[in-house]
Amino acid sequence: MSTTFKKRNIFLWLLAVAFLTPIIILFFLSFSKNWRFPAILPEQFTTENWSYLFFSSGNIGQSFIVSLTIALSVACFATLLGFITSKYIAYHKYRKKLLLLTYFPFALSPVIFALCLKFYFIKMSLIGNVQGIILAQLMIAFPYSVIFFTGFWSQRIKQFEDLVATLGGTTAYAFRKIVMPIAKSLIMICFFQCFLISWFEFGLTSVIGYGKVETLTIKVFQFVTEANIFYAALSCCLLILPPVILLWFNKKFIVQTSK
Amino acid sequence: MGLNTKYAIFNTSKINIISFLLLLVFAILPLILGFGFAVSYSFGLIGVLNKGFTLENWSALFENNDVIVSFLYSGWLAIASLTLSVVMAMAIAIFFHKKFSKGIYSYLVYMPLAFPSIVAAFFFAQFLGNAGILSRICYQLGIIDHIQSFPNLINDRFSFGIIIAQLFLSLPFFILLYTGLYQTERIDDYTQLANSLGAKNKQSIFRISIPILLKKSFPNIVMYFIFKIGTYEVPLLLGRSSPETISVLAVRKLQKFNLYDIPQGYAIAVIYTIFIISLLMIVLKINKNEYDI
Repeated sequence: MSTTFKKRNIFLWLLAVAFLTPIIILFFLSFSKNWRFPAILPEQFTTENWSYLFFSSGNIGQSFIVSLTIALSVACFATLLGFITSKYIAYHKYRKKLLLLTYFPFALSPVIFALCLKFYFIKMSLIGNVQGIILAQLMIAFPYSVIFFTGFWSQRIKQFEDLVATLGGTTAYAFRKIVMPIAKSLIMICFFQCFLISWFEFGLTSVIGYGKVETLTIKVFQFVTEANIFYAALSCCLLILPPVILLWFNKKFIVQTSK
Repeated sequence: MGLNTKYAIFNTSKINIISFLLLLVFAILPLILGFGFAVSYSFGLIGVLNKGFTLENWSALFENNDVIVSFLYSGWLAIASLTLSVVMAMAIAIFFHKKFSKGIYSYLVYMPLAFPSIVAAFFFAQFLGNAGILSRICYQLGIIDHIQSFPNLINDRFSFGIIIAQLFLSLPFFILLYTGLYQTERIDDYTQLANSLGAKNKQSIFRISIPILLKKSFPNIVMYFIFKIGTYEVPLLLGRSSPETISVLAVRKLQKFNLYDIPQGYAIAVIYTIFIISLLMIVLKINKNEYDI
């Protein structure tokens, strides 16, 4: 019995190590320099890589700002527009068919989808700029948001709205006083998820950005192809940090509140 | 009151029109336009070097087995990583569901979810590569005596690196799914009932817990398979030049310098889109609770 218990504990420890090691190693690499085989530790630990981010003309910091701007814009638009559209779909007589159509762009590989749409983006002068990337990413994040919210518009919500209308309240009043308080935590979760969809995106961004818009994921790929592992690790750390904070926030406040 | 009602109806229909337009612009139209463009290009109806309707691009595409191999390879990678994820996550849900519902593990499980695919691919390249951390540890422990002795775990024949990276990315999702299902489906109550009626632990696991978890998660598994089959970043960094996954093959054909490859690239995109849409329609038909993500 105790052997089984120990075996179980070992398995859990291994799992914890597997989940934590990547973050630790990436941070460790971001502070490293001159790491030659077979040394396990680098010859030098330095804050040079991080100071390059803040003080030199290197554009990792700029990429961080670009990524953040794109991800926040996509998350805001996708959540807002998805919330509005999901109500229309949820109470529509062709609900299932409309939802099926919404699933298609979301399920396709973003990079293949982007390649099929590239021609139209060129025609609209939306290639190689931030606006184009926001629009392209919206085509993935918006369907996600619609699917996410469709389950929210249940008969119960409709009955609440009808009750307000019966008692003389306006649609806007029902929305402000009934729908929004109930939907608040879902809206925040959807915002985080859309932010992450955009923040993690590489394939579609590389096609529509055309190498001119350097988000952090694009930067990581550039550093990897240049074999500059220390700057790649630094960019990776910057990519991981916001999701870790968001996921912690999500778990700590939203999941617990909804429980 | 009459005016109010009229105003409300006007408002509702205005919102409905806006909603429909949003759906059209951001979901339906891009799909139709993108697919239409890919079909037209692949049949030679548009494009710089195309001269009118032709089946040449399609027949050229199937002159070798690249596309079929790519589809099979993408499918194999998705199935391999998904099988490992599902089995491990199910075992965790059955044996450790309490540990993952609160405490430190309920936070740790979220860690890999913070990893974009490209970061996971980069990490595993640094961890499993010939000059990577694992290789260095093996050298220091005397397991290998030089760098070449370390087996190829990335860009390798068996796609070990890709499968491990995919497992790392998908395991937390399935752990969260199964630990959640374990509670909502009241599997603990069923197994206790079975045990009190004389069933052994093994029997309650294989005849109650696993079948319930598998049945409830089947649509999620297929949805995940659909996403994984189109994965791009991980095979791009950790895969070999041959065979390629379907996304990598399509991008190579469409983005490289040989203009004659572009129609074939669009033909691949057409096959891929039809395959994914068909699979999705089947899943959503099977899944009655299709609105949940």
